Amino acid sequence: MTDPELEQLAQRLGARPAERLDVERTAQAVLARLREERRRPVAAWVWMQPTWLKIAATAVLVLGAGLVMRGLVHEPQVSTAWVAPIRDDLSDLTAEQLREAMRSLEQPLISEGPGAAGGIETGLDGLSADELRALLRTLEG
Amino acid sequence: MPQAEPVAAAPAPPSDAALIAAWQGGDEQAAAELVHRHARALARFLAGAGAPAADVDDLVQETFIRAFRGVGKFRGQCRFRTWLLTIGGNVLKDAARRAQRAPIVPLGEDLRANDGDPHERAVAGEAEARLGEGLVRLPRMQREVFLLRAQQGLDYEEIAAALGTSPGAARVHYHHAVKRLKEYLA
Repeated sequence: MTDPELEQLAQRLGARPAERLDVERTAQAVLARLREERRRPVAAWVWMQPTWLKIAATAVLVLGAGLVMRGLVHEPQVSTAWVAPIRDDLSDLTAEQLREAMRSLEQPLISEGPGAAGGIETGLDGLSADELRALLRTLEG
Repeated sequence: MPQAEPVAAAPAPPSDAALIAAWQGGDEQAAAELVHRHARALARFLAGAGAPAADVDDLVQETFIRAFRGVGKFRGQCRFRTWLLTIGGNVLKDAARRAQRAPIVPLGEDLRANDGDPHERAVAGEAEARLGEGLVRLPRMQREVFLLRAQQGLDYEEIAAALGTSPGAARVHYHHAVKRLKEYLA
């Protein structure tokens, strides 16, 4: 096959599908899609792009995994920090230190109402060191 | 005998650049006119590059949509049609990737044209089909350069500008394509 014959053949290539193409219908379909895109807000279009969806899904997974890991890592530390030292060290604390510990533990109760707050404050002052230790152990459960 | 009045010259049709500017200004008819001008050439290019006949319509639409979306990036480095054909090449590549199959040139329907001598028609159809098969075996650059040159009649300068290469490299791609196609068709 010569070069001109090959070029002639190439020029015929795809001629039939092109002839069958309904150009008017194609133009109307293109215009309809362009109109639809113009109506759609730009932000919605951006977020509909697959890349953004993938990034968003990855971010959600990473955040979720981070929260789960944080919960697993921190929870035991929190419980030992609040319970173990108090249980172990009660015998070494003075009455004043015990009252201070009680006040810090009872802080949420104190803030619940003026009447309750005053009662607890007053009651702690009147307790001995042993009574305070016993009360602390009770509060620890 | 009354003298015929001189016929006023018909106004020249607006250039592609003028239609693009009009479309960017919101003129939908300008976009429609661009589709009318270039849709068939685009369909021929896509079919030649291996688009299944049943998909040509959708691929033409998708190419125009992408072109109109990105027309702000068109800097006139080549003709609008040439730029459109290169976008068509990308659309076809994406479609083939989505379909997870190699693009194929359909044989059956193309061979059932009902004009001319049936034997000649069958022979011509077979040769075209073989050429299509040969084309899909070429690297994409060689295939597109060959189609832009042999099918669309573009010069190397224009092809190089559209494909982001040099005219010399485009020439080399073309000659490689011709050599391999001749071997395939022999």
